[in-house]
Amino acid sequence: MRTNYRMNSGVRFQMLSDDQLEEMFWGVLHLLEHTGLDVKHEEARDILEKAGAWVDGERVRIPSYLVKESLRMAPRSFTLYARDGNPKHDIRIGPGRAHFGPGPTCPNFIDVETLDRRPYVRSDVPIVARVVDALPDIDFCESLGTVSDVHHDLGALYEFASMFPNTSKPIVAWSYDQHDSAGIHQIAVAEAGGQRAFEQRPNYVHYCEPLSPLVSTFEALEKLIFAAKHRIPLIFTPCPIAGGTGPVTAAGIVTQGAAESWMGLCVAQALQPGLPFFMGGVYSVMDMNAMILAYGAPELPLFMAGITELAHYAGLPLWQTGGCTDSKCFDGQAVIEGSMSVFFSALSGGDLCHDVGYTESAMTGSVFQLCAMDEAIGYARRITRGIDVNDDTLAVNVIHDVGPNGHYLKEKHTRRHFKSEFWYPNLLDRQDFESWEMTGGLTLKDRTVARVRDILATHSPSPIKPETEKVIEKVLAQAEERVKEK
Amino acid sequence: MSDILEQVSTAIIEGDLDEIVDLTEDALDEELGAEEILNKGLMAGMDHVGVEFKAGNMFVPEVLRSARAMQMSMEILNPLLAESGVQMLGKVLLGTVKGDLHDIGKNLVAMMCEGAGFVVKDLGKDIAPEGFLEAVKEHDPDVLGMSALLTTTMRSMESTIKALEEAGVRDKVKVMIGGAPVTQAFADQIGADGYASNAASAADLAKQLVS
Repeated sequence: MRTNYRMNSGVRFQMLSDDQLEEMFWGVLHLLEHTGLDVKHEEARDILEKAGAWVDGERVRIPSYLVKESLRMAPRSFTLYARDGNPKHDIRIGPGRAHFGPGPTCPNFIDVETLDRRPYVRSDVPIVARVVDALPDIDFCESLGTVSDVHHDLGALYEFASMFPNTSKPIVAWSYDQHDSAGIHQIAVAEAGGQRAFEQRPNYVHYCEPLSPLVSTFEALEKLIFAAKHRIPLIFTPCPIAGGTGPVTAAGIVTQGAAESWMGLCVAQALQPGLPFFMGGVYSVMDMNAMILAYGAPELPLFMAGITELAHYAGLPLWQTGGCTDSKCFDGQAVIEGSMSVFFSALSGGDLCHDVGYTESAMTGSVFQLCAMDEAIGYARRITRGIDVNDDTLAVNVIHDVGPNGHYLKEKHTRRHFKSEFWYPNLLDRQDFESWEMTGGLTLKDRTVARVRDILATHSPSPIKPETEKVIEKVLAQAEERVKEK
Repeated sequence: MSDILEQVSTAIIEGDLDEIVDLTEDALDEELGAEEILNKGLMAGMDHVGVEFKAGNMFVPEVLRSARAMQMSMEILNPLLAESGVQMLGKVLLGTVKGDLHDIGKNLVAMMCEGAGFVVKDLGKDIAPEGFLEAVKEHDPDVLGMSALLTTTMRSMESTIKALEEAGVRDKVKVMIGGAPVTQAFADQIGADGYASNAASAADLAKQLVS
């Protein structure tokens, strides 16, 4: 028996103190109460007014008690389910759990055969989804691109329709409008076995994006309202750019971004109390020379750690960002920037970390960057898993038995633990020089390309139900009918 | 292949120390010859282990467990093999050279060679040229393996080879060397018969040297 004994189950990381977090928390509440946001959706304004907000034209100010009430209603822990019931693909959201996945909507894609950069097309979606399905440390799916070779209004719908059959990992879906959202939801509900079954075991999350600074756009709220009414777990994620669309300082951008997310939170909780809600999103700097939103800047993981701590302080899960780069190709820069932000994200424990696999500052999706980052995530997770301390792991008896000049290779203790104590790389090479040379002298890039191609040649995700396939056909046909005249 | 040989082979792959002795005896009870059990049971299993190890699907502690299972079976088969005059793969004599107390690599080589089917005599560490020479005379090995971790001690390998030459036994034994600072160029320079960069390739090299 142990008494008065404290255990840390992993690496501890905290940046901001409770005092600092409380100051930021009240800063957000102050902003919402005194400055407010422009809410460009009449129904949303009505919902907020009924709940107790002050509406003045488009401007909506929310009293702090209402924000706190909304925070209280939103759950901190819940599960996102694999569509096929495979528990290994479920995502359990809760304290101390970081999950990773790609991002959406890059215009370009690195072709898996030619390795050239070209526009993202419909046939790329199954490629990304199957690689996501196979990679052990990628937990949820987005497509890494906007489909360019279908009607321009239907990109998001075709994307979901192609992702869903090709991975059973939970999907994060975006859409252009509520027609898309409705089509996506029909497909997901068909597989789940009805709306009620979906509510009990949601298999996707709906993503929408307000505008910085301080605007809740019509489209974002239209989709939010659809998701809330259908009890679809929701991500409401701004993308403020420090020095451009957000304050230049870290504390300032975090405060503004939180206010933007919490406006959405108040609408969602008023409509559907207890709806799982992630605040977000992408917080980084505007490079004052290149004039881009920098996806590889150190400020990105730093800001993201700040917003993660604020979200957890307020009791909400966070839509994190990492594994992305400003580099144009698979090189040292891509791996440094991606790995550093992945590790920082794993340390701060943001709940769903997206944009893994973004290159060229979100202009080009790369399944190779995704695959390399899967390795970095595995590496980071071994570190955050920490050190177990108990009689068995202390191994005092084993050390005694082996004694000076002995070795541990034949010990039962070694055999029992070597697989769980050590992390084994899939891509990183540890051979001696001669063996490395003999096996072709391959670089990380060579091995990453080979692994992606091997997955695509061998991995088959579990299929969707035949009735869902029919629903997909019907939904796409109806959508084509809808846009025929446009 | 008969069921029992398949079971022996599986027990080797799984490193099943509880079953391997009984299975070896069962195979003999079924009138199978020791040589057949060795080749189609034990070696078939170890070949599979070697392939899986190189592919990164099996790991050192598992390979050692398999090698240990093989040794337990060999303890039963050895007298029978000797009776019927079957040639074993050969004997490997191993040691870390004088002045060097680092022996984890040499231990790995020993275990990998055992797994490959060699009889291994491990002299230990801090072995002077005279120590190797006496052991070569006494044990009459097919292969002598020397290991060093330090650039300061690896020169002792050259002295050992010279000592073997002076005693007139150099041509009776193949010499292989290894260790972090050792290279193929150094092996060529001091007149060794082979160099291996890791324990698994050392076992492969030993097989080449005796074939």
